Amino acid sequence: MQASRARLFKEFKEVQREKVADPDIQLVCDDSNIFKWTALIKGPSETPFDGGIFQLAFSVPEQYPLQPPQVRFLTKIFHPNVHFKTGEICLDILKNAWSPAWTLQSVCRAIIALMAHPEPDSPLNCDSGNLLRAGDIRGYQSMARMYTRLAAMPKKG
Amino acid sequence: MISDSIPNASIAMASANPKEFAKKKRANRSAKLKQCKLDARREQWLSQVKNKGGCKDEVTGGAVAHGGPPLQLVTKSSRSIEKLEKIKTKCEDEIYGEDGSLMNHFSDSESLPSNSPTSHTSSVLGSNDSGLNFTASSRSSISSISSSGRSSSSSSNCFCTGNMSEEDEEGDADVEDDCLDDWEAVADALAASDKKQQQEHTPNTGSGLKNHENAIESGTQVGVGPTSANQESGGTAKERSLVNCCAWRPDDACRPQSLPNLAKQYSFPLNSERHLGGRGAVWACKNLGPTPTSCPICFEDLDCTDSSFVPCSCGFRLCLFCHKRILEEDGRCPGCRKQYEFEPLEGEAMVDGGSLTFRLGLTRSCSMITRS
Repeated sequence: MQASRARLFKEFKEVQREKVADPDIQLVCDDSNIFKWTALIKGPSETPFDGGIFQLAFSVPEQYPLQPPQVRFLTKIFHPNVHFKTGEICLDILKNAWSPAWTLQSVCRAIIALMAHPEPDSPLNCDSGNLLRAGDIRGYQSMARMYTRLAAMPKKG
Repeated sequence: MISDSIPNASIAMASANPKEFAKKKRANRSAKLKQCKLDARREQWLSQVKNKGGCKDEVTGGAVAHGGPPLQLVTKSSRSIEKLEKIKTKCEDEIYGEDGSLMNHFSDSESLPSNSPTSHTSSVLGSNDSGLNFTASSRSSISSISSSGRSSSSSSNCFCTGNMSEEDEEGDADVEDDCLDDWEAVADALAASDKKQQQEHTPNTGSGLKNHENAIESGTQVGVGPTSANQESGGTAKERSLVNCCAWRPDDACRPQSLPNLAKQYSFPLNSERHLGGRGAVWACKNLGPTPTSCPICFEDLDCTDSSFVPCSCGFRLCLFCHKRILEEDGRCPGCRKQYEFEPLEGEAMVDGGSLTFRLGLTRSCSMITRS
């Protein structure tokens, strides 16, 4: 059993054990492939993403944990650091600032933090970044809230 | 740097040239070793469970046949067999537990027919009298014995070392594949100790005599360490109280996962000055916050060598396996993301003008030679 598999298996057990500890994150492993995970995260409160539930797809490389997992949003989200079409996330810890001490769980936490604190200076979503850089907080928030309603909330009625 | 490493390597590479193997193996090595470590643990556990029924007879018979190691071994084993029956399922606990020594002994004597006869005697000798005999019986690999004996405060490694160092001398002729896995797993676990040893010896590599004396001297000291760890039945009242007050029962639910920490407490202080004398910053036993019980990278339990290993000034601890893997990649500490400063201390094979030199001592390089 290679190291990545062993480590993922231990993370899986850890997640099972601490399921209740962090209600904002629900991390599940693919039934047949331990290198594929999905996560459901709650949008942080006091942000335009509040009330939404966002789905993330993890693709874990063989070299994990020395290489970071690849994460993308499956749920549409209007955020300067998330590509609107592909869901790709621009986050330093998923690139060069990755540390093997991070876990999938902590990556989820980092993404929640990124949702609350966007970085408009390295945008993947230029529209969203431009709104923020132009200081149009209200415009950004209303756009983001609209997409949260459309994509990340359960349909009513 | 190179002149340092050549004397060390010359011992290791006396018989074979590892160049072509090393190149091929290096990429897969860490993965394989990891695999081997797991396999070894599993096998140990399996053999324990398997032997549970009939092992009492076997052990007593074996002890009588060898004549040497008699009473102590038998009593110890029967005691721990009782324990074994209590704890069939706790694999990891057992490996680190008091029974570790016993268990290893079993696997030794089982695999012996396929091994060299010399290693047999050495393991018997080892079980009889511990460190001092090791030092006397093995010739060129004294250093590896004394170092590993010292660091392997959990008694288990002690026997394997005797076994292994004999193989070191005899080369790869009579080592068969089936025992290789075990051997290499242990060798890898002991590689850490070799680093330690090398670290001490680098200052005076030039004078072989001095080295020798040093090793023997430490060997005698080791004689105190593992012996006290081993003979619970014949031990003094002090040792017993140590064991009792901490309640290190393998079946104890509250027992900390890293049992070797206990052994560390009374075997490491013996040598701590020694470590600090050299480049002790890395291996210092001082406490930098609470020691985690498992490696934060691979989540495996830290053994006693790992838990005294603080590679970075930020105090981030990890196991030697992961440290090695990280050094092979980007070499940044997972805790603070700075480059590791002590990189040259790690075992690394360097191609230098066509000749391959190993900075790391005997066991690692030999494991690469024999594994082909």
